[in-house]
Amino acid sequence: MEQQPAHVLLVEDNPGDADLVRLRLVESKSDVFVNCVPRLSDALACLDAETPSLVLLDLNLPDSHGAETFRRIMEKAPSVPVVILSGQDDEALALKAVHQGVQDYLVKGDITGKQLERALRYAVERQGLLRALEITRKQQLEFKNQFLSHISHELRTPLTCIHQYVTILLDGLAGPMKPDQTDHLKTILKSVNQLHAMIRDLLEATRADSGKLRIDQRCIDIGELMQQAVAMMRLTAAEKHVGLQSALDQAVPLVYADPDRTLEVLINLIDNAIKFTPANGSVAVLASIVETDPAAVYISVSDTGRGIPQESLPQVFERLYQDPNSVDDSRAGLGLGLFIAKEIVTLHGGRMWVASEPGAGSTFSFTLPLYSLAKLLLPVITYEGRLRESLVMVRVELTPLSKSLRGSWKETCEQCLERLRLCIYVDKDLVLPATGTSGPVETFFVVASTDVERVGILIDRIRDQIGSLPRLKAGGTLRVTAEKIPAPPAADSSILEQQVWGIADYVTEVIQKGLGSKQNFTEKENHENAN
Amino acid sequence: MRTETHSEQQPMNRAKIMVVDDDPDLRQALSLRLRANNFDTVNACDGYSAIALAQKERPQLIILDLGLPAGDGFAVLKNLQEYPALSVIPVIVLTARDPEGNEKRTLESGAIAFFQKPADNDELLGVIRASLEAGMGGGGGLPS
Repeated sequence: MEQQPAHVLLVEDNPGDADLVRLRLVESKSDVFVNCVPRLSDALACLDAETPSLVLLDLNLPDSHGAETFRRIMEKAPSVPVVILSGQDDEALALKAVHQGVQDYLVKGDITGKQLERALRYAVERQGLLRALEITRKQQLEFKNQFLSHISHELRTPLTCIHQYVTILLDGLAGPMKPDQTDHLKTILKSVNQLHAMIRDLLEATRADSGKLRIDQRCIDIGELMQQAVAMMRLTAAEKHVGLQSALDQAVPLVYADPDRTLEVLINLIDNAIKFTPANGSVAVLASIVETDPAAVYISVSDTGRGIPQESLPQVFERLYQDPNSVDDSRAGLGLGLFIAKEIVTLHGGRMWVASEPGAGSTFSFTLPLYSLAKLLLPVITYEGRLRESLVMVRVELTPLSKSLRGSWKETCEQCLERLRLCIYVDKDLVLPATGTSGPVETFFVVASTDVERVGILIDRIRDQIGSLPRLKAGGTLRVTAEKIPAPPAADSSILEQQVWGIADYVTEVIQKGLGSKQNFTEKENHENAN
Repeated sequence: MRTETHSEQQPMNRAKIMVVDDDPDLRQALSLRLRANNFDTVNACDGYSAIALAQKERPQLIILDLGLPAGDGFAVLKNLQEYPALSVIPVIVLTARDPEGNEKRTLESGAIAFFQKPADNDELLGVIRASLEAGMGGGGGLPS
């Protein structure tokens, strides 16, 4: 079907050129309405008020030149087709504009009525087609996501049924089992768990694709997370007679990352490493600080496995990648694990890469941002270039009725942070990001610019706000305490930045004491033996 | 309306749990496991019978699926809130649905926990015991 541009916005500052184009337009099509403006700002104002069927645009205007002109127009009205009026001398630029989404260009002086009419009509049609294509693409993506979400839900129901009855048999709830029957059931359960993991990965990959993968960054102790991951994988490693150990550079400070997601990444890498390491080999997890990149922690998982061939290295993080030489390791999964792991790290602003030597093993490494308290504190605890006089640290401790209520507890903690933010003055108090992962007690900290005498009002406010959370009323306990943050020594009071660092260090120390696991880590370091 | 009741000769201290799920196999499996762990169970297969049975049986805890005929899980949560005696019964949601979007909504609607199927049996039992011990269990009584 032919679409005639009925309403043209002509942006042209030269009255002669404008008249000529108008004349040609009316010649070719008598009922066209032409609105002519001389400046980009006028054109943008027009686009606010109305949607023309086409914009005819001179690139060099009194208030804008070159590529900037069409970029601004296209940004303002992405659905309106743009045709450029170029002079003989800027044809190259006009062509470049076409590559960037402008529909066409016409060289001034060469324009005839027929040519103009044709160019405009085609521009409108092409733009319409492109829009339809874009809408279809979005619909398809949406359909794919809904489809996968639906599938995963439908698959879960029969899977749950199998899981339930297998565990009923295994737990002896339906009578005693013979040892080899138990073994067979365990094999079924293992497959059920694999299937479950695949369904989860499928959904996660879909989320990553559509930008819906979300992370909840907290201030965490990476050493504790590594310990947790190693503990969870110890059995898998022992079954394969593969050694598994973790080590932490003592100097690794707190990390700003999503604890659940980070654990997921660690488990994924460790699981992979064990899978591709033969018996009597070993897997090591390390965290360290690299001098050249002091804002990040470097975490690596190394194995003594068969390694990855050079030519495959670029593909390992791609969706559905499977090791082509994987024969003995049978069912490896969907090949989405590394893809998801890399997406998670990227969302944190980190990087993930792999180094490998065939026959000698592989090392997967990734970075996570360190937690910089000073950066967060600076705008809050300073005022007119000076440190605020009196600073107090408020500690809010929540204990749930059961540690295993984790999912729900997470929601409660989020609500808690939201409510804490309602209690403070945003320009002089700061609610610190949630900390830690372990233990039943959830601790939040507020740094407030007030003195110990007046902090009582803040504490009362916090008690009121948080104490009325429904979940807490149902069975948790709440404790709110405050302590003064000592002023930094007068000696380095000359430099504000150093003072802020001093306060940040102090606060970090208090938080770390609260987490309490740091010191124990080296003692508890895992040295799993192959046999 | 169809309900199934399983109560064995009971000492007074056995807590009564209501399982609401439209899948008969899952209902049976869950009841079996709960009874093996010294709980009494009553079962409902849809949203309507869930409310009716809760009124009649006054369970101390409810395990609730979300996708149900005759009033889905959210409708059940809302209806429970309307009866003072039922609103105090802790509800654990156990569903095949995605936590994203559903977890927050169920907790805001009054559930105490959200589990995605297939859930870890020990974890589920842990939460059941913890919430019963915390005295949240109503059965007509008030939380202590």
